[in-house]
Amino acid sequence: MGPDAIRVEDLWKRFRIPHERRNTILEGLAAILGGRPLSYEELWALRGVSFSLGEGESLGIIGPNGSGKSTLLKIMARILRPDRGRVEVRGKIAPILELGVGFHPDLTVRENVLVYGSIMGLRSSEIKGRMGSILRFAGLERFEDARLKNLSSGMQMRLGFSVAIETDPDIFLVDEALAVGDAEFQAKCLDKFKQFRAEGRTIVLVSHALGLIREFCDKGLLLIDGGVAAFGDAGAVVEEYARRLRGG
Amino acid sequence: MPMPPYWELVRALTIKDFKLRYRNSALGFAWSLLNPLAMMAILTIVFSTLLRSGIENFPLFLLPALLAWRFFSIGTSMALWSVVGNAPLVSKVYFPRWLLILSSNLANLLGSSLEFLALLPLMALLGMRPSPSALLLPLILALEFLLIFAISLPLSALNVYYRDVYQVWDIALQAGFFLTPIFYSADLIPGKYRGLYMLNPMARIVQCARKILYLGIPPEPADLGIPLLGALILLALGAIAFSRLEPRFAEEV
Repeated sequence: MGPDAIRVEDLWKRFRIPHERRNTILEGLAAILGGRPLSYEELWALRGVSFSLGEGESLGIIGPNGSGKSTLLKIMARILRPDRGRVEVRGKIAPILELGVGFHPDLTVRENVLVYGSIMGLRSSEIKGRMGSILRFAGLERFEDARLKNLSSGMQMRLGFSVAIETDPDIFLVDEALAVGDAEFQAKCLDKFKQFRAEGRTIVLVSHALGLIREFCDKGLLLIDGGVAAFGDAGAVVEEYARRLRGG
Repeated sequence: MPMPPYWELVRALTIKDFKLRYRNSALGFAWSLLNPLAMMAILTIVFSTLLRSGIENFPLFLLPALLAWRFFSIGTSMALWSVVGNAPLVSKVYFPRWLLILSSNLANLLGSSLEFLALLPLMALLGMRPSPSALLLPLILALEFLLIFAISLPLSALNVYYRDVYQVWDIALQAGFFLTPIFYSADLIPGKYRGLYMLNPMARIVQCARKILYLGIPPEPADLGIPLLGALILLALGAIAFSRLEPRFAEEV
């Protein structure tokens, strides 16, 4: 087995949910003058998560709603910053989160692909060279000049997938993104992922589809209330989750 | 891991901002010429015909200063939205966030440069004295760009947390329009207030634009040095504020 692709050490993440909405300077000033300090509800989304994943391994993250799966993924993608702990990643990451990969609704499909590709570190000549295959995989050849906001959510998701795949990442982080696509597209994506696995790329999937995780992933991570309840062989972790769901 | 070529990203984001700025109006770029021309007409009628300020060739006195001010006011108020307006990017993918502000400012630099270029023939027509000092315009725009960037950093970051920052900045810009020698000469400011008045870095920058394009004389070292110093101080403060506020952008946009 190669070196670690991802190493997560003692990750803690807190969200602050204010008791009252105070989004403006005026509200802030009024509250300070009125002697009402801003109070928060603290929510610890992650409580000391640690694990590591070897290069070329695939990991399935499972757990109930609100257990911290998406937060963990976003921290690995550097979108959120943890309050404590650290993440080390070797290689280029492509996150595919729920509802897209980072598109601008007012830009056309083509312009979005150019912006996204450059975020992922590609040169514009490289992106233009891959434009055809990106549009083809997404089935959007005829929509190159359509603005993104005029596409259906399924179309946007397909485009997100295609463009992320074509930017040659070493690591995929996928959050329930498959759920939006139709059966045909899902099958197409799974084929791609199998190909990437064979090529030795690292994949992290967040999903409620336990069958998919068991079939597709080497390792599983069960998150409950922001902590690691189980980590190891995917089949065993899925089994552990199923046992807990049964109340065993 | 090799660093991605971020200048490609800056270029793509700048083009995006530039396109979006002109896409949402049918006349596009024409509006950004019509606006200063209309302002010039109005201010000329008020200060040259009605109030008789006695300034020789008032339209030409006004235009360089007005364009320099537009560069500043549009640049900062566009960049103020550069994080919030890119929420779909910020919440979905990582890249250094300050590149959003830089790109917004660059798109504005492009727009303002085109405004200057498009209105130079008009200035020549109005009797601009051809002088080698006019060649200093890029230097002055570069200095102003630095100031705009320094101010845009904290503004865009604060706007993530407080959604009325733009209202406050709008008032500040209105005050700035009157506290900067755009439609009058700084010589009118009484001596005891002059030192305070000239602390406004835009006051000197606007005067520089006027000197090189209207008076046909080069700016003095202090005209460039003092705004440069101010811009660098603001840049240091702005960068500190931005890096403090940046970690929670994705949670708040």
